[in-house]
Amino acid sequence: MSDIGKVRLRVPSTIKAGETVRVRALVIHPMERVERDNQGKIIQKNYNYIDKVTVTYLGKTVVAFDTTQAVSENPFFSFAFRATDPGVLKVAFTDTNGGKYEGTADIKFS
Amino acid sequence: MSQTLTRRQALHALGALGAAAYLGVRPRPAAAQALGQQETVEEAMKRVFGGKTLKDGAGLVKLEIPFIAENGAVVPVSVEVQSPMTPTDHVRHIYIVADKNRIPVVTRVGFTPEAGQAYMAANIRLGDTGDVRAIVERSDGTWLQVKREVKVTVGGCGG
Repeated sequence: MSDIGKVRLRVPSTIKAGETVRVRALVIHPMERVERDNQGKIIQKNYNYIDKVTVTYLGKTVVAFDTTQAVSENPFFSFAFRATDPGVLKVAFTDTNGGKYEGTADIKFS
Repeated sequence: MSQTLTRRQALHALGALGAAAYLGVRPRPAAAQALGQQETVEEAMKRVFGGKTLKDGAGLVKLEIPFIAENGAVVPVSVEVQSPMTPTDHVRHIYIVADKNRIPVVTRVGFTPEAGQAYMAANIRLGDTGDVRAIVERSDGTWLQVKREVKVTVGGCGG
């Protein structure tokens, strides 16, 4: 499970200035689901799942996901942003155990 | 002397402010709990969208999700909203709600005009056959909703 928190970003290989670009972000994470006992009662514990995904570009937040346990294991998130200047696109994930994972992509114009 | 004291007080006040700001910026655990709770979809709709008129967004909101999901644990869903995404007219939030899930509110996505396009996609879990809704909040305060039934062969929410 040492792969937890591996982030992969997929950005189109050629980007033109001013274009709206779609990006796919994938993170390796178990996204634990709620467990129940025989009576169907929820077992109370701190489930480890990603509850926040923040996308920043040129230091500004572009898109923010608030997620729950109803999101799949090893989730991917897709979003768009307007590529105005060359810079760094950063996607940061936070889970309920305090884990922070992030991936970055350099946005360059061809 | 009195100057040293005021400086110290000032620093204390600043520290308190910093702590408050720090706490204020990340009310994460509480917010996450508030978003995804074990409840029926009626309760969820009332809790999250209480008092809002949800208009039919058929022409503006494109919800893409398979009609039949063979594996409820991984269901790709994507939502695209037609919007100019300018500071005065953009999409603020997209919510995904799965009616038959024990945690009906799946995700909330917040947008800023810099996104350029109100588009999101993710893999979600579906517990049972039922409606999946995309609910959109626009910056002018109007709410749109589209929904579609998804048949789930094997439920993916487990317990």
